[in-house]
Amino acid sequence: METPLSTFPWWRIGWRNLRRNHRRTLITALGLAISYFAVVFLVGWADGIKSEMVENGTGILTGQIQVHALDYRPERSLYQTIGGRNGTDVARMLQILISDDSVSAVAPRVYAGGLVSSGESTSAGILMGIDPKLEPKVSRILTGIVSGRAVKVGANEILVGTEMAQQLEIQLSDEIVVVAPAADGSIGNDLFTVTGIFHTGMSELDSSYTVVPMDALQKMVALAPGRIHEIAITTTNPWLAPQASERLAQNLGIIDIQIEVAPWTVLAPAMFEYTRLVESYYFIVIFIVFAIAIFGVTNTMLMATFERRREIAVMLALGTTPSQVILAILAEGVALGLLSLVVAAAITFPIITWCHYAPIDLSQLYNDITMFGALVRPQLRVEYNLPVSIWAGVALQLTALLAAFYPAMKAARVPPADTLSDI
Amino acid sequence: MKNHSTKVEQFAVCVFALATFFHLSTTVVLSAQETAKDIIDHVDRIFRGDSSHGIARMKVITEHWQRSITMELWSLGTDYSLVTITAPAKEAGTGTLKAKDNIWNYLPKVDRTIKIPPSMMMGSWMGSHFTNDDLVKRSTLTDDYDVKVNFDGERDGIDILEIHLTPKPEAAVVWSHIEFRVRKSDVMPMSIRYFDEDYALVRTLTFSDFKSVDGRMVPFTMNMYPEDKPNELTSFRYSDLSFEVNLDESFFSLQSLKQWRHR
Repeated sequence: METPLSTFPWWRIGWRNLRRNHRRTLITALGLAISYFAVVFLVGWADGIKSEMVENGTGILTGQIQVHALDYRPERSLYQTIGGRNGTDVARMLQILISDDSVSAVAPRVYAGGLVSSGESTSAGILMGIDPKLEPKVSRILTGIVSGRAVKVGANEILVGTEMAQQLEIQLSDEIVVVAPAADGSIGNDLFTVTGIFHTGMSELDSSYTVVPMDALQKMVALAPGRIHEIAITTTNPWLAPQASERLAQNLGIIDIQIEVAPWTVLAPAMFEYTRLVESYYFIVIFIVFAIAIFGVTNTMLMATFERRREIAVMLALGTTPSQVILAILAEGVALGLLSLVVAAAITFPIITWCHYAPIDLSQLYNDITMFGALVRPQLRVEYNLPVSIWAGVALQLTALLAAFYPAMKAARVPPADTLSDI
Repeated sequence: MKNHSTKVEQFAVCVFALATFFHLSTTVVLSAQETAKDIIDHVDRIFRGDSSHGIARMKVITEHWQRSITMELWSLGTDYSLVTITAPAKEAGTGTLKAKDNIWNYLPKVDRTIKIPPSMMMGSWMGSHFTNDDLVKRSTLTDDYDVKVNFDGERDGIDILEIHLTPKPEAAVVWSHIEFRVRKSDVMPMSIRYFDEDYALVRTLTFSDFKSVDGRMVPFTMNMYPEDKPNELTSFRYSDLSFEVNLDESFFSLQSLKQWRHR
């Protein structure tokens, strides 16, 4: 039977040499396999944190893409509504945006800054006017209601965050005073009934944001119904947002107004830069882990070839060329690498699959943290990263091969006569 | 708007909120002995004193809108003042009460008073270019600032003194310096310019329309120009003003703030 092994005897020799000392081979293979696991798991975990950050950073409030008037950011002035003073046809804009394949939800918003007062206490707050039907599909601020219910269209109803509720001693169904400078220069003010209290986990939102129906806010701050500040958009995948933004800007081009369509990578540049930094660090991890492994494997291979030095001397004495000896030992290294890869896959993939679907909760050990304005829950959530899994496999194989190189060179230089007469 | 707090601002404040005037003869002539400090104290004192009552009109012009508000004002010393809007009708009854370091606003539409939190002291007062903080400050300029005459001569055809105020090291103020221009003929202020920590001009308050009330000269018109918005201004103008009116502390209560309509 013709097999690659029989046509190339050095493969067979290399493979067989591995089987001489099962225990040693297995330990070495395990070492490499665990290196592989370490890389794939660490990278997967970093990916998990990154995804958590991006999902929460965009999912709690901002959305993955936002549409504004061209000069709305960063000042966020009350007057800079989409379409300027005349406003825009909000329904038509929403229709254009939602018809894109990568857009899964859209929500219009109006913002005002003002005072929220309950009883004796008053605090500065951001008033966010929303469409109660559309908003839950874009942000989690409404799904984070811990008591009460969402606001209704047209009603003077308000949601406050847990921290603001605590600070101002607000309870459900309280009437609170809301004051904000209006677009006509007057001091907009009205009474709102608290229908719900929300908790997002982000202190900034929970302490200073209030949510009111968009129409009620527009009325209070003297903005016409067509005047909104923002359309927040959710895409099917956060990483599609930059491309989708460009497409949406083109689609909206048919409405002749000056707008900016910005993906989260632009709205939260620090967060985006961080994800890029994390990615560059993946290859450093691969390098360091396998650089450590390479010395262990080299040592084992050196011992194995030293033990076989008389055998190698016989091979050389019988006419095997030094380069063939090198090939045999490199083949042993490659075979070791392949074996390690099988072991590595057997260890790694079940564990990361488990941690992907059932992230291990670390909240006993760590509290929630906020990174770049995004909440990150303490958990061992692991993401699949195919490129890194492949690169780590290549690195493992390369490690085994490189580790065999020095022992192979040494073996090829074994002096046959001296070695055989040694004993 | 960069209207940081300083003691100096009560200069502005007092004019529209605490318009009470001290002894300042209309015929004061600067003597060689008079120091810059004395002059600033003089000017500072124009707007301090016992009690006052006035009617004023504030015109606010911004990039986006312009509006006029008519208001009635009462003050007692530097600690108490009460301002109530009388026109336009939509906002009539809206008022501000200042008692010591606190400010309350009354909103007739919802019939509630709200206390302005410290974090909002830099916020605009009634949509104008004055801040809530401008209403509150009480201490004197020369307590917080070192004073020196920068220029003595003619500017725009008027013989003036330009006086430079730099904060004392321990003073809790945010301006890097303040520049007063005082008319030499009667020691009336012409303008005050406020500079931020980068030594950039932030806003300018000008005084004009000097009239005599109960034997004292008072600038009836004050204009505040924010430097970063060249087309905007708040113009404050008294139409009526009297001093030494019969008021006591009990007048400056939340009750009075709410009950303007009944007064």
